[in-house]
Amino acid sequence: MRSVGILAVVLVLIAVFGPVLAPYDPTAINIPNRLRPPGGEWILGTDALGRDILSRLLHGARWSLGLAFLVSLLGLLIGTAIGLIAAQGGVLADWIAMRVTDTFLAFPELIAAVVIAGVLGASTGSLIFALTVTGWMRYACVARGIGLSVGTRGYVVQARLAGLAPLAIARWHYLPSLLPSLTVVWTGMFARAILGISTLGFLGFGVQPPMPEWGTMLLDARIHMRSTPLQMIWPGIAVVAAVLAVNLAGDALRDALAEQDARE
Amino acid sequence: MIGLVAGLFLRAFVVLTGTALATFALLWHAPGDPALSIAQARYGTIVSDEVLDFIRAEAGFEDGFWTAFWAWLAPLVQGDFGQSSVNGRDVWPNLVTAMSYTFPLAIFSLGIGLAISVPLALIATRKPGSWMDRGAVALASVGVAIPAFWLGLLLILLFAVQLGWLPAMGAETTAHSVLPALTLGFGVAASMTRIIRSGILEARGQPFLPAFYRRGVASRDIARDHVAPHAAVPVITVLGLELAFLLEGLVVVEVIFARPGLGSFLVHAIFARDFPKVQAVVILTAVIFVVVNLVIDLVYRSLDPRLDVRDA
Amino acid sequence: MLTVANISVRRGAAVTLRDLSLSLAPGRTLAVVGESGAGKSTLIGAILGLVRCSAGQVDWNAAPVSKCRPALVMQEPRAAFNPRLSLRRSVMEPVLAQKLAMDSDRLERLCRGLELQPDLLDRRPDQVSIGQAQRIGILRALIAAPPLVLFDEPLSALDAVTQKHTARLIADMQRQEGFAALIVTHDLGYAAAYADEIAVLRAGKIEEYAATQAFVDAPQSEYGRKLRGAAFALGALERVA
Repeated sequence: MRSVGILAVVLVLIAVFGPVLAPYDPTAINIPNRLRPPGGEWILGTDALGRDILSRLLHGARWSLGLAFLVSLLGLLIGTAIGLIAAQGGVLADWIAMRVTDTFLAFPELIAAVVIAGVLGASTGSLIFALTVTGWMRYACVARGIGLSVGTRGYVVQARLAGLAPLAIARWHYLPSLLPSLTVVWTGMFARAILGISTLGFLGFGVQPPMPEWGTMLLDARIHMRSTPLQMIWPGIAVVAAVLAVNLAGDALRDALAEQDARE
Repeated sequence: MIGLVAGLFLRAFVVLTGTALATFALLWHAPGDPALSIAQARYGTIVSDEVLDFIRAEAGFEDGFWTAFWAWLAPLVQGDFGQSSVNGRDVWPNLVTAMSYTFPLAIFSLGIGLAISVPLALIATRKPGSWMDRGAVALASVGVAIPAFWLGLLLILLFAVQLGWLPAMGAETTAHSVLPALTLGFGVAASMTRIIRSGILEARGQPFLPAFYRRGVASRDIARDHVAPHAAVPVITVLGLELAFLLEGLVVVEVIFARPGLGSFLVHAIFARDFPKVQAVVILTAVIFVVVNLVIDLVYRSLDPRLDVRDA
Repeated sequence: MLTVANISVRRGAAVTLRDLSLSLAPGRTLAVVGESGAGKSTLIGAILGLVRCSAGQVDWNAAPVSKCRPALVMQEPRAAFNPRLSLRRSVMEPVLAQKLAMDSDRLERLCRGLELQPDLLDRRPDQVSIGQAQRIGILRALIAAPPLVLFDEPLSALDAVTQKHTARLIADMQRQEGFAALIVTHDLGYAAAYADEIAVLRAGKIEEYAATQAFVDAPQSEYGRKLRGAAFALGALERVA
């Protein structure tokens, strides 16, 4: 638990302070020093345009982790809203919301994201849109499931009788019960978003060069696999470490919540 | 039971219609003049206005969204996936060829995934909490964190570039399928191991099992009659997710290994802005996904009759 | 004036209430008595608009009941409160929701009437006794001065001493506040002691509907006689008869 916490803190610090720590400008082209091996002046070496790989990794954390954070948070907001509408809004609203959710769930999310981002044209905006549109459904299902059971509790009936507005009921009586489970779902979706962003970047539909996103870096590195194989290792390790840390933090959180539930 | 099946089919229908509508709406609102990109793909960069008008009329772009949607959907329902907007040829034969590369790879990968995950989960659960168990869990945790495209690159680096044992690019021989299948299979194994493991542990924790042991029922019989069927239920539940994972992985893997399957077909069609092809792959994927999930649902319900239709 | 006119409620194929009519004037108390499964909770749901009626109508002064913001006192005292919020926050919820002026004198007066220490309200639901929770539930029901208050088995979660105490306080508050009270209970003794009228509910139908004294003296229906006999046997009706 403690080591997970430390790993997560380190990742957050890198995402926030990475650019400050970076020894070089991540986009500065330096052709005479291209494809340098690790060591010496360039700790992890340089890429095909002579850019410092360590600096690109550190700056890239902001793209890969920052965008994943944003996308998973947007999904959380949209999904929770739809789930609560389904749970609070009566039979018809529930049916419509759930069929819409079914439709979005009925397609592999990453493929949908590839199609959306690709068709809309590669840009950071379409990347965010594509991953958000395909990443809200789990929140909606969880929010609806818990919401339906919360809706039968005495205090929610009382709030409705008192004439409290639906939004206020959601805020005071639904959300506190939803938050623990939604946070666990969020960690999973955050990890998926990190994978999604790097995968789309690798396929050429994500963050565009010269921005140093980890998946895009791997796309560049792939061409020089024979001459400088190590160049392909670093961004991959960064992705794995980030996803692993987020997943482990999610597991720890879920176990802690289960323990708390068991105590109550 | 009939009502239940009818309900599931109705839902499948709603979902497919929704997918078709969403796909068409996305492509309809795609930036840029679709007629221009078609014309450029066909005739080169300089195109006259007459050509553009001709293409617009041909594709039904002028009559508004719903007319165009219907002009696409009506033949589609009869199995006509339309023609490529780039070369004008039928999409369907290309799709069939692509599928003939994708499906064997998918099954091969699933087989590798099961061949790794089932024994690993069995070893892990022999002594829960032992170093073997923790090792298997750790391996699976790292496994799910590795993006398929990176694993593929690493395998190419090791087996094709450094060792030279296996070919990396193309799909001519069975040997060409080994690395892609391993890439996907490892991913499948990583996520399945955890699910099978917790399924077995939960099945072993059923409250009536200690009584069976005390009465001297052979542990092999208990495992076969009471543990295995119970452990299978959560595994079947996640098969749908596993399929999604597999399809997503296929796209990436086919691109990396330059295999002419559905995934590369889709990515190339997007880059070429050949929208009829994009639509065709999307609808085909949705149909596969919905049908497989329908089958999983029916199997699942037959295993656990307590489930209510509305809980689906 | 509460008017329940010929309502029926269906749940799937089953009919849980059939052709049921009641009326209740301000300041009066009507007790609906019946065994579990008779449809008492469904009746409350139907009056509050939480359960849809397949036929008939429920009105308060010729307008939908929800317009008069009726209040409900629940059987399970703690369930009426969000466990995460302070009791004060929950008690004041009707005032906030209906955007009424916050009247601290009224809160104090009601607390005194219900024999509640005001500082109890700063606790959470699991930090007060069941009896206190039920009195705070009544406080919450009364805070916005509703003209109609429904009590769903208000005593059945309480011990015998607290039951007596709470029953007396409900009657006192009604005298003070003048609301119409509809009390659903399985306890004929309680109903006979405090209600002006009694309606006997059985399998979704009203078997008998009469003034309390008339019912206790001479029930007209066979089921009513049985109910009365059972209550006498338990010694619950001696004070009234």
